[in-house]
Amino acid sequence: MLGIVADTLIIYVAASLTRPIQPVLDTFSARTGIVVQRESGASLEHVRKITELHRVPDLLLLADVEVFPQLLVPRYAAWYAEFARNRMVIAYTKRSKHAAEINRDNWMEILRRNDVEVGRADPDLAPVGYRTLIMFQLAQRFYRIPGLAKSLVDCAPKRNIRSNAGALAVLLAAGELDYIYDYQSVAESNGFSYVPLPDAINLGDPSRASEYAKATVRVRGSVPGMQTELKGQPILYGLSEPLRAPHPSAAAKFLAYLSSPEVVKQLRAAHVDMLDRPIVVGTGAPAGLRTPK
Amino acid sequence: MTDGNRSGFSAVSRSIITIIVALLASLFLLFIVAPVLGLVSSGGARGLASLATDHELRASLWLTAATATIATILGMIGGTPLAYLLARRPFRGRAVVAALMDLPLVIPHPVAGIALLLVLGRASPIGGVLYQAGMRVAGSSTGIVCAMLFVSAPLYVSAAREAFARVDARYESVARTLGDDAWRAFRRVTLPLSARGLTAAAVVMWARAISEFGAIVILTYNPKVVSVLSYDRFTSYGMTEALPVAAVLVLFALIPLAALRALRAGGPYPSR
Repeated sequence: MLGIVADTLIIYVAASLTRPIQPVLDTFSARTGIVVQRESGASLEHVRKITELHRVPDLLLLADVEVFPQLLVPRYAAWYAEFARNRMVIAYTKRSKHAAEINRDNWMEILRRNDVEVGRADPDLAPVGYRTLIMFQLAQRFYRIPGLAKSLVDCAPKRNIRSNAGALAVLLAAGELDYIYDYQSVAESNGFSYVPLPDAINLGDPSRASEYAKATVRVRGSVPGMQTELKGQPILYGLSEPLRAPHPSAAAKFLAYLSSPEVVKQLRAAHVDMLDRPIVVGTGAPAGLRTPK
Repeated sequence: MTDGNRSGFSAVSRSIITIIVALLASLFLLFIVAPVLGLVSSGGARGLASLATDHELRASLWLTAATATIATILGMIGGTPLAYLLARRPFRGRAVVAALMDLPLVIPHPVAGIALLLVLGRASPIGGVLYQAGMRVAGSSTGIVCAMLFVSAPLYVSAAREAFARVDARYESVARTLGDDAWRAFRRVTLPLSARGLTAAAVVMWARAISEFGAIVILTYNPKVVSVLSYDRFTSYGMTEALPVAAVLVLFALIPLAALRALRAGGPYPSR
């Protein structure tokens, strides 16, 4: 619109955020004339594109803020910001078996029935996958049912595991699965019904961080053969502008737009539970994002 | 301008054309070969060495070979009669059928996976019957075979059709006039004459099947074929762990491709 050559914004988005963020990207592009190139996928896949293939985006929006300190800061990014919450739910559709009777009190029993197909994401690859396992442990404590966590794992067998939230949603929509463990935002943006879970187990309440941390899960580490232990934490989405981002001015414009009250409202309406202000960790973040002291 | 001048000029232009053609051919060859060589040289040795210890990789290679072979056999059983009809029998709508057979080649592979899920998944009429009978398509090796068959069978049918078309129809007519029925003429004349082309078609189908990723990852993530395993290793550990898996797949694919070349080296088609 303003220049002869259109500016570009390259943005990598977690699969679970794609649907709600797309209208925001479209409006941003229409208003500024900046061409948006969006890539959507598993959070870890985006990280590998940066660290292994050296394909650096201007912005990176991930489903798990912990990925930044673990794999990206300080070598590939100087700062990151927590910007939205989410919570675990059990998503289903009208044609799921026993859809009429499932509720927040009986889901453990229904999901363990033999005629029900339950899906979950790969805990080694997707944050939503290991958070599902953490939620199982919290549920075992909360409902005081010995062996619940293990039997829930057994009832969502390997054949019903997929690599990320998006692929799981496809199987639920196609009727291949009856129930999936996924984020509330994914369930809402796909138009699925869902069973809300108590705050004590849904990983959605930041004030319960110490309670969540009592559950731990072992997943594959970043070196073959090694395992790493992950503690339960509140679900927080994180964003960052990596070092050597090719279009920093476009990134700054989009961050300012993303923090505007209009967009925060729009994303909340699209079921993304935006924080009132992003919480920045590290140095060098644009002024608009920094939390006032 | 004299004739001699003209022929001198064309000799120069001919050699220029030869140089350009050779240059283009070399660049093209380099474009194809360099990534493959890079992959094999950086991951091949480690990949082969890890075969001894990496149980998951061995299981994955075995699964990939077995499912691709089953898909290819199914492709030959179903595709050979269809290819013969397309090559030999003019029928109404033949062009449409031929075009339909090419369609899977243009469908993006994850979409192909979703399309198969809609037809063979538990919620579909066919998939529902299979599911009741205890046969799952999604999340099983059956799903892998279905995905491989769908994306690679068009290559078989297309090549098999060409193989049949290359056999002179007069040989069949002669067999018929000597008293053979249609099936006997096909079995005794057409099939032997087109056997090499059919085998080549099957090898291409097999090679395409083992490389499939997009449709398989939707239908069956576990158990993992080699393409899914290399994606999994790349995402979990990065390039150093993904390259050996991919390199082993390339080395492994050399077997049918070398077999194909050996077949072709046997000389021109006997029908010629």
